[in-house]
Amino acid sequence: MKGIDGPSALVRGRRIVVCVGAGGVGKTTLAAALALGAARAGRRAIVLTIDPARRLADALGVGALGNQPREIPREILTRLGVPSGGSLSALMLDMKRTFDDLVERFAESAEARDRILQNRIYQNVSDALAGSAEYSAMEKVFELAESGDFDRLIVDTPPSQHALDFLEAPQRLLEFLDSSIVQLLLHPAFAAGRFGFRLFQRPARRVLQVIERVSGVSFLEDVSEFLMAFEGMSEGFRQRARRVNALLLGRETGFVLAAGPASESVAHAEAFLARLQTSRVPLAGVVLNRARVWPGEGPAPAAVPDVGKEAEAVRALAAALAPNAEGDGETAARAAIHAASEYASLVRRDEEATRVLRGASRALGCFWRRVPELPRDIHDLDGLARVADALFAEANAGDADD
Amino acid sequence: MAETLRSILARRLVIVTGKGGTGKTSVVAALALAAARSGLRVLVAEVGRDEHVPRLIAPGTKPVGYAGRALRPGLTVMRIDPFEALAEYLGLQLGVRAVVDLVFRNRAFRQLMEASPGWRELITLGKIWHLEQMTTPDGDPLHQLLVVDAPATGHGLTFLDVPRVAGSAVRAGPLRKHAGWVEAMLGDPERTLLLPVALAEELPARETAELALRVRRDLGVPVDRVVVNCLVGAPFPPGLDDLDERVARLPAAATFPGLPPPGVLAACGAHLRARHELGRHWAAQIARMTGLPLVPLPYLANGIRGPDDLAQIATPLLAAPEAVAA
Ligand SMILES: Nc1ncnc2c1ncn2[C@@H]1O[C@H](COP(=O)(O)OP(=O)(O)OP(=O)(O)O)[C@@H](O)[C@H]1O
Ligand SMILES: Nc1ncnc2c1ncn2[C@@H]1O[C@H](COP(=O)(O)OP(=O)(O)OP(=O)(O)O)[C@@H](O)[C@H]1O
Ligand SMILES: [Mg+2]
Ligand SMILES: [Mg+2]
Repeated sequence: MKGIDGPSALVRGRRIVVCVGAGGVGKTTLAAALALGAARAGRRAIVLTIDPARRLADALGVGALGNQPREIPREILTRLGVPSGGSLSALMLDMKRTFDDLVERFAESAEARDRILQNRIYQNVSDALAGSAEYSAMEKVFELAESGDFDRLIVDTPPSQHALDFLEAPQRLLEFLDSSIVQLLLHPAFAAGRFGFRLFQRPARRVLQVIERVSGVSFLEDVSEFLMAFEGMSEGFRQRARRVNALLLGRETGFVLAAGPASESVAHAEAFLARLQTSRVPLAGVVLNRARVWPGEGPAPAAVPDVGKEAEAVRALAAALAPNAEGDGETAARAAIHAASEYASLVRRDEEATRVLRGASRALGCFWRRVPELPRDIHDLDGLARVADALFAEANAGDADD
Repeated sequence: MAETLRSILARRLVIVTGKGGTGKTSVVAALALAAARSGLRVLVAEVGRDEHVPRLIAPGTKPVGYAGRALRPGLTVMRIDPFEALAEYLGLQLGVRAVVDLVFRNRAFRQLMEASPGWRELITLGKIWHLEQMTTPDGDPLHQLLVVDAPATGHGLTFLDVPRVAGSAVRAGPLRKHAGWVEAMLGDPERTLLLPVALAEELPARETAELALRVRRDLGVPVDRVVVNCLVGAPFPPGLDDLDERVARLPAAATFPGLPPPGVLAACGAHLRARHELGRHWAAQIARMTGLPLVPLPYLANGIRGPDDLAQIATPLLAAPEAVAA
């Protein structure tokens, strides 16, 4: 992405940043760290988080679900290095509620609204309208972007096996509303009852009848009732979805792909990047999170101790650890060396993940960063600050360039 | 709880669930492989869009599909595709499969079904019930162990709740009866075990606690242990627990042949120790919040790539669970 050569440029140059990636790789953590970085750069930033760990939510002041922005107190921000022009807020996304709000807004009448909200299909809406949860998250982004209260929106996303699910949500919702089956079911005759079956060809009718007979549920009626109620609002909805889509894929937005160092996670990220090449998604960068890094200089050694030096190494370290030869020197030396050797092999594996992802992101012309695994989980603002420090460090750009 | 728990392999149906990415599929594959090696006839049913188990059990193998395929003696893997299961069910109800197939090729019909909630879970569980009921010509269970790779927790609960909901929402008809059969199977501690897989981290720990609570309170599906996966082992032997600190106190400039400086040696051990302690902390939280014994599985540095890695987690997986820490 032109001009976006790292997280700093990203939070300066784009109004909306979306973190995507597989489950558990650190989307929520990175989104919050990016928002902190934006605040440190003097922006009025907000992070929209989804299901953060409870202690992190508490730290961000969004412990109680609210769907409303909460601002982090000034004195804490000052301690975290946020200058006076910058601010940091957080909002915990309540997707169901956002969708309900949307129905409120676009329903033709109070009656139509109630009919939708009480419909069994609607209550299962996340299944019924593929991607509607993702869609409603985007909806909130849109609302906040229009409000003008914030100049940087950092968006967390739900875990997805297929990361593009998220990006395609508005489009899929539009396609669903336009699909022939929906149009067909919107036909008033259908909702009038079994007569609707005529619209299907005979075999289909028979199968549908069997479904109804064995299920004892008139779920076709539920579906059509839902869609009928939906139709009144669907034009407003459709326009809205189109604008959300435009915002998402527009010049103001940058996506960050989070990945973990496990081979599965790297493979997932690679597949995602491959698909991105054929999509219009504005990918800004890739972040390899929780990579174990070698605490010494350069990359991890191929072996600890060096090959051929094993006996010598144990002897020397044992002598240093137990100078008076009080028994456990050798055991201790072996244990310390074994731990270092084990850690080195983890680091080598993560360095391999680094190479793969760095290569893939360079090929796409986006930035790439590596955030080390911290010894503890990230549950407070100080932990978040450490992640932000690593993410925004200038030196990080050339990381592991060998 | 003084009584010893029955082995996982003593059930006929084991449903593995947990938060996304916790290791459900790895546990399913390890369990199935170990059971088949112990001489049981095992069937693995994957539920979801893609197949993951086959490549763990037989790397490089072709997809197994709905029909399933034996990947080793005594070990068959299939993927329950809800549309195929529905077609099979309706074919049985209608008596004519050809009509059903014709309809299923209809795009409008598929779109309608895509948009309709609930049936996927119900039909999938119905298929599992059907598989559980199958017998050999001698009348023995055809599948002595059926292992299900269930969807991630949030969806996993809906998945298990559907028969109950269907049972109460549906007025009459065969479906009501069938939902009742499925519910009876799921609630039978002699036959069924729900096996949650968690990581020793905050979010998975809390999700597991909620799962255990809801399962016991609302669903009545038997749960008797929690698998805690990816635990980083203690880096140092007993008695040397703070060895990294001892190493860190060595003179920074000291050099040892073939070794990095003491500060680096100490940092390696310290990181592993911190991760180990963090894991123990959350494992204890899981035990406390669920009141269930734990089955700890070690973190393998190279991930779970194939049968050898599966064998490594199978042994602790089948060991007697650890009692709840006081
Ligand atoms: N760099 C890091 N070092 C150490 N721990 C980390 C790091 N990044 C994230 N974590 C921890 O990893 C866990 C998962 O992180 P997080 O919740 O951000 O992931 P996620 O991708 O949002 O997960 P989900 O897909 O479940 O929403 C958390 O416990 C978090 O504290
Ligand atoms: N004990 C372990 N040690 C190291 N890595 C592990 C271990 N168990 C699982 N993994 C790795 O963790 C990742 C997720 O495992 P797996 O696919 O089994 O999880 P899952 O719960 O089925 O995920 P999903 O929710 O995506 O279906 C894989 O890369 C796997 O190799
Ligand atoms: Mg998250
Ligand atoms: Mg899986």
